[in-house]
Amino acid sequence: MPIFTRPTSLALPILLTITLSGCSVMRSYDDELKQTIDLAGQGQLDQALTQHESNNTGGDFDLLYYLEKGELLRLKSQYKDSAGAWLLADQKVNEWENEAKIRAGAILENAGAVILNDKTRRYDGHDYEKVMLSTRLALDHLLSGDWNAARTEIKKTHEREAIIAEINAKDNEALEQESKEKGITTTFKDLNGYPVETLSSAEVTTLKNGYQSAFSHYLAGFVYEALNEQGLASPGYRQAIELQPDIKILEDGLATLDARPSLRKPSKTDVLFVVESGSAPALSSVTIPVPVIVSNLGVIPISFPVLHSDPSHTLQPGTLGIDGKDTLPLAAVTSLDTMSKRALRDDMPGIIVRGILRAAAKAMSQKVLMDQGGGAAIAGIALNVANVITESADERTWRTLPATISIGRVTLPSGKHDIAIGSSKQSIDIQGSHAVVVTRLLGNQVYWSQPAYGPQMPVYTVPAVIQPTGNTGSPAIKKPLSKSKKKKAQKSIHQAKG
Amino acid sequence: MYKKNIMNSNAFKATAIALMLSGCATQSPTLSSGNVEYGDSKTVETLTNEFGSTDLQTIAESMASSLLQSPALFVKSRPLVTVAEVKNRTSEYIDTKSITDSIRTKIVKSGMVRFAVDTSAMQTQVDELTRQNQTGLYKKNKSKKMGNMEGADFRIEGTITSIVKRAGDVKDVYYKFSLQLVDNESGVMEWADEKEIRKTSNKSMF
Repeated sequence: MPIFTRPTSLALPILLTITLSGCSVMRSYDDELKQTIDLAGQGQLDQALTQHESNNTGGDFDLLYYLEKGELLRLKSQYKDSAGAWLLADQKVNEWENEAKIRAGAILENAGAVILNDKTRRYDGHDYEKVMLSTRLALDHLLSGDWNAARTEIKKTHEREAIIAEINAKDNEALEQESKEKGITTTFKDLNGYPVETLSSAEVTTLKNGYQSAFSHYLAGFVYEALNEQGLASPGYRQAIELQPDIKILEDGLATLDARPSLRKPSKTDVLFVVESGSAPALSSVTIPVPVIVSNLGVIPISFPVLHSDPSHTLQPGTLGIDGKDTLPLAAVTSLDTMSKRALRDDMPGIIVRGILRAAAKAMSQKVLMDQGGGAAIAGIALNVANVITESADERTWRTLPATISIGRVTLPSGKHDIAIGSSKQSIDIQGSHAVVVTRLLGNQVYWSQPAYGPQMPVYTVPAVIQPTGNTGSPAIKKPLSKSKKKKAQKSIHQAKG
Repeated sequence: MYKKNIMNSNAFKATAIALMLSGCATQSPTLSSGNVEYGDSKTVETLTNEFGSTDLQTIAESMASSLLQSPALFVKSRPLVTVAEVKNRTSEYIDTKSITDSIRTKIVKSGMVRFAVDTSAMQTQVDELTRQNQTGLYKKNKSKKMGNMEGADFRIEGTITSIVKRAGDVKDVYYKFSLQLVDNESGVMEWADEKEIRKTSNKSMF
């Protein structure tokens, strides 16, 4: 790498880049979003939006601006505006996809990140955020009653997952090669003082990857089923099970898929309750001395990101009340908290390599200036001060995402129902053959959604049970199942147990 | 005496119109940024080893030609067939309806079989009849009557399954698409066929 062959030539670019990219280098995203989320957690959504706008001035908005804005507008039940913001975010993700397909494997090519810190990199979003963006756009469309637009977003989710998998494979290969060439063997477990346990728990390591969620795939199954596309619903439910095994509601989604159409009735609605709680973890920066083998520069302090689980401390409900009499168990099927930890665990090799290369570049430029003495030595001291100030991990992450997503599913008579979560109650009108009701718990607030009418699946007369009557030829028609028996059959299908 | 005037014949007029129209088509202006190209939809696609356009075309081609040779379809003139579900037993989002749509199109083009609306199009069919008969917008003697739909003689149904294996950098995917033709009245399976596809990819090939 040229960085290590001509260290003096780096001093000026470093100082210039520090000056020119001052804002992004010094920005504390955690501080900015803490205030916004606190306001949303107290029910002050207008103030939260104003706060968000004041944190993002200048006009050239990045991906995170649109991601957070879309979420805040969604909490205000402005689904079309929320979808508008997220579609702008989606354009940026599309740009990333198109570029990434070409530059896959060039994970270390970013001069700003190598010279200053990772904050100077354009924010392309964590992989799970890109996937979650499509899922949340699908939810916005569902809440606006546009199931076909939701289907488009869901299809995009699968395609996006495939692109991410391909790019990650190439990036990992390139990273492995680079580490081998530079002799970098440091892993996050070697970082003395880093909270290794946050990235090493069983729930983090057993996840298939950091970007696929059981919720996204279950929702895909539900939407395809509602649109009478059983062939596509089946892999949705199946993938949800593969991502989160041993959760009954997920298993039932697939097991009773073929039986559900015959149990459907015109006056009943298959309802998917989606209960989101908390906020996604925050990232902070921790500086740890790391031995830099490159050019034998000794031990140099480097900053790394650390995750802090749900700073909003929101309670996660286990049940949901229906009409003051029934209790529907909720199963936590996706933890954005765990997914972000897994994503960070997978990103750490790249962060470490970039950090070491950056530290080496800074140290060598400074050393050369100091060795020259006189005015150059003063510049060397200035550079040292600048290096200490600018050394900071990237704290940017989509903070208004929920920490956990739980689901419950039940067939209810179409019409108004009183739904309760904890002490919060809401009358919700449910219509159509399928409906999705989304509720968000944040801080001390419960944000309810009122679903638009769902699709109306064709429901024909319940077939009578025909039994042969022996040799007489004419079959005897038996009465359909009694109401209580059918109720039992439906209940057993939709019981959700975590 | 009958004089044959080639200029007045219908065939001549049709040919002349076709030539004029095709002439227009070739002279249409093209807008291009230089980055987008049309490709041959039949090109063999091996970008990844997930289910792709070539697999869909291969299955549809193979199944349609096999089904059209089934003796069951010759017993009655132009029997009525409906497409039931092709169950997707894979973990991949394969649009099985798109596969059966392609098969159906190829069979319909043969002229040997007619197709009744399937369950996915049933709601549209019911809506249309309801619109014509119950909205008061249509002349009674001009609207299509309720209760005249024809039941299909046969139904087509099937499954698609896959086995995925990974060993080091190698990923092997095996697909099996099975289709059958069942007599709706007797329940007898009159025809069945399978199409197998194996795709292997090696990461080091990238």
